Amino acid sequence: MARSQILAIDAGGTMTDTFIIDEAGEFVVGKAQTTPKDEHIGLRNSAIDALNQWDAVIEEEYPNLLAGVYSGTAMLNRLVSRVGQRVGLIVNKGTEDNHRMGRGVQSYLGYSYSDRIHINTHHFDSPLVPRKWTVGVTERVDLFGNVVIPLYENDIRPAIQSLLDEDVEAIVISLLHSYKFPEHERKIRDIAEEMIQQENKDIKVFATVDYYPVRKESHRTNTTIVEAYAAEPSRKTLEMLDHSLREQGAEFDLRIMASHGGTIGIQANELARTCVSGPIGGMVGAKYLSENLGLKNVACSDIGGTSFDIGLITDGNLAIETDPAMARLVLSLPLVSMDTTGAGTGSFVRVDPNYGNLVIGPDSAGSRVGVCNPEGGIETVTVSDCHVVLGLINPDNFIGGVIKLSKEKAYEAVRTQIAEPLGLTVEDAAFGVTELLESQLRNYLESMILGKGYSPSQYVCFSYGGGGPLHTAGYTKGLGFEDILIPAWAAGFSAFGCGAADFEYRYDKTLDINVEEHAEDDAILNAGIELQAAWTELKTKVAEEFEKNGYSNNEVDFKLLYRMQYQGQLNDLEIEAPIKEFKSISDYETLVKTFEETYSKVYSKSALSPELGYSITGAIVRGVVEVPKPKIPEESLSSKEPPEEAYLGNREVYWDGEFLNASIYEMEKLKPGNTITAFSIIESSATTLVVPIGFEAYLDEKRIFHLKEL
Amino acid sequence: MAKYDKKRIAELVDGTLEFYQLKEMMSDFKDPERFDLHLSVLQERVPWDDPILLPYGLHLYIVQKKNGDRIVKCDCGHEFCDYRENWKLEAKIFVRNTEELMNEIYPKLMSPDPEWQVIREYYCPGCATQLETEAVPPWYPILLDFEPDIDTFYKDWLKKPLPTA
Repeated sequence: MARSQILAIDAGGTMTDTFIIDEAGEFVVGKAQTTPKDEHIGLRNSAIDALNQWDAVIEEEYPNLLAGVYSGTAMLNRLVSRVGQRVGLIVNKGTEDNHRMGRGVQSYLGYSYSDRIHINTHHFDSPLVPRKWTVGVTERVDLFGNVVIPLYENDIRPAIQSLLDEDVEAIVISLLHSYKFPEHERKIRDIAEEMIQQENKDIKVFATVDYYPVRKESHRTNTTIVEAYAAEPSRKTLEMLDHSLREQGAEFDLRIMASHGGTIGIQANELARTCVSGPIGGMVGAKYLSENLGLKNVACSDIGGTSFDIGLITDGNLAIETDPAMARLVLSLPLVSMDTTGAGTGSFVRVDPNYGNLVIGPDSAGSRVGVCNPEGGIETVTVSDCHVVLGLINPDNFIGGVIKLSKEKAYEAVRTQIAEPLGLTVEDAAFGVTELLESQLRNYLESMILGKGYSPSQYVCFSYGGGGPLHTAGYTKGLGFEDILIPAWAAGFSAFGCGAADFEYRYDKTLDINVEEHAEDDAILNAGIELQAAWTELKTKVAEEFEKNGYSNNEVDFKLLYRMQYQGQLNDLEIEAPIKEFKSISDYETLVKTFEETYSKVYSKSALSPELGYSITGAIVRGVVEVPKPKIPEESLSSKEPPEEAYLGNREVYWDGEFLNASIYEMEKLKPGNTITAFSIIESSATTLVVPIGFEAYLDEKRIFHLKEL
Repeated sequence: MAKYDKKRIAELVDGTLEFYQLKEMMSDFKDPERFDLHLSVLQERVPWDDPILLPYGLHLYIVQKKNGDRIVKCDCGHEFCDYRENWKLEAKIFVRNTEELMNEIYPKLMSPDPEWQVIREYYCPGCATQLETEAVPPWYPILLDFEPDIDTFYKDWLKKPLPTA
């Protein structure tokens, strides 16, 4: 047995999963109940469970670990169930109701399409900060950063005092356009800190300009409130986790998966971005794998129990969305951009009683699988039930046999709920469901790639997640991807991704620098000074974060990025600057040239509009330091024929109108170089790869299947 | 398919459900038993025995009389008229058509100009419950809002016979 190398922790609301990856890329998964009050107990139990499978113990393995990455849902739960800190909010006088009114879109964020257009279902959740803890001060800064009304200092102290009298646990300050003129917020912050000290209280003050100096007031305010409301309490939990890991012999700095696709230290200034991290683990893993394989453009697809997630890696970069929504709030956080649709293997399948058509999702049985799971208590047919009916999954070997599925129950449910109402045989009905699902996913995948201005033929498709490989052939059919890759170790891909994430900080700042097409040198140099000042400010912030983990400035690889658009257009592009510092007119020309190259790729060359002039709308700095990452397996090639011990037998499968005799293989026992022809099913404990007619699969040296349309 | 018990539908009528319950019910396909359950909840709550054919608005129902008439009837038992005629013409009507009357229900200067718009309130002559309001130009006729085709509804949609008195 190899030595443990990387520990990835996924602390869910009910279960804590630990993935321990060894030097050879093999991993074990441990599970234990989450212990919300002392998360380290659940983590310890989960790690013991994982290491048991290697006959190893924590005391011996923890000191071997090179890295540990945590992702958890505690912060998100605190937000969703509104059990965060008592936060006071200071805003412009007259705008005290803005936060509780919220943005209109917040009334239907996270809803299915059918609910979005059904206005009666729209609903505003209660605000994070109630009206009674919101106070106003007089001041106004316009969108250019001019002071229109000076800060009326007599308002400040009474406002802060009223919050202190209410015993708030944190204070957030958010003024209009403060990202253009931070002085007012900082003045209030300093007075608040002084008053808190006088009262001998332990209250942290969050001015939005210190955290998220970006445009869009609701987003900026929400994000800073989330920081105070939910993230700050999590810091204590993380410190305890870190402490207990060290006590047990671990020597690494615990890192947390963050929304921008990197990991950050637990002492990080901005913790709110660790609130969402689950689904992006796979994207980060895909990026790491694609770098290793030398692939530039990758379309990542992941089918889980509840959703289908897709995201693009273009020119080796993850697309970043700067104002995502989570927990039904609009936020200003950099989030790895992904599109999600509510169709997974656990999605419910129904016949619409009004129109008699099949409807998949949007809700799902999730981990309870479907009617076929006798212990799930589910009554409505799910996609998984159809898989069981068709013979695509082995009812006795689901999740390695942990759950025994009942084919009879699935068959009966599909018969009464789907087949009979539609006048079909049970097999045809089940096959129809999978075909409908796959065509929906295919349309979705294609429209997402085309909608971003690219074509599937420029991309390699990665498929992972528990349910992905079952449908890969179906949802990629005819799209013309350059290649379709399924890592044989696909099921733990998300954890692999967490382990593979860079140690990376990223900070953003909004700018409004307008430069005409043929601008004078002076104007260009002034723009450059402003841009460089923003980069320098952000670089200092990033460097300060790394210092907390003992990394000095010269160990950090800084990347400068900028957002640019044509003046007056609505969408800007985020681009990595090919310069290290803005020094001269030629640097500006480089930035413009790079922008126009990217613009031509995303839109088209004929859409270039230099006559409008240019706007630099943001500066971004990313800093990365080297950390140990999991190894990708590498084995020598064997014969084309799969080895006999991988062959598990045959099973009858219903496919497109006929019963076929499918060959069943065990995924782990297949050897690199093997080619699997149709009709085959390749089983592993956590995933199933189907090779239907018209396809074949080839396993390469890195234990990645290439699914080829013949 | 969604299925609810009578208690849940009674809570729906009362408006005492939590929003998440309501949301779940709205997002799902409508349960096939809903009309019957809803009707039976309403029927139990009125103090009279005429079978309800159709709910007609808050406090109002179209009921089947023994002589074959279909009448618009209030909770309290007050009977308005045949359902094809306009019950509003049989109601007590209060018209807010001056600034003073508007200011009883709106903050000052936040109500419509009564030259352009008036508010008509319809009350039951039996129990004085407010049954309907409308904001209309002063000259606007009193319209019959809802003319249901009860026979077709039962025959083609519910696929069941009409209740008999």
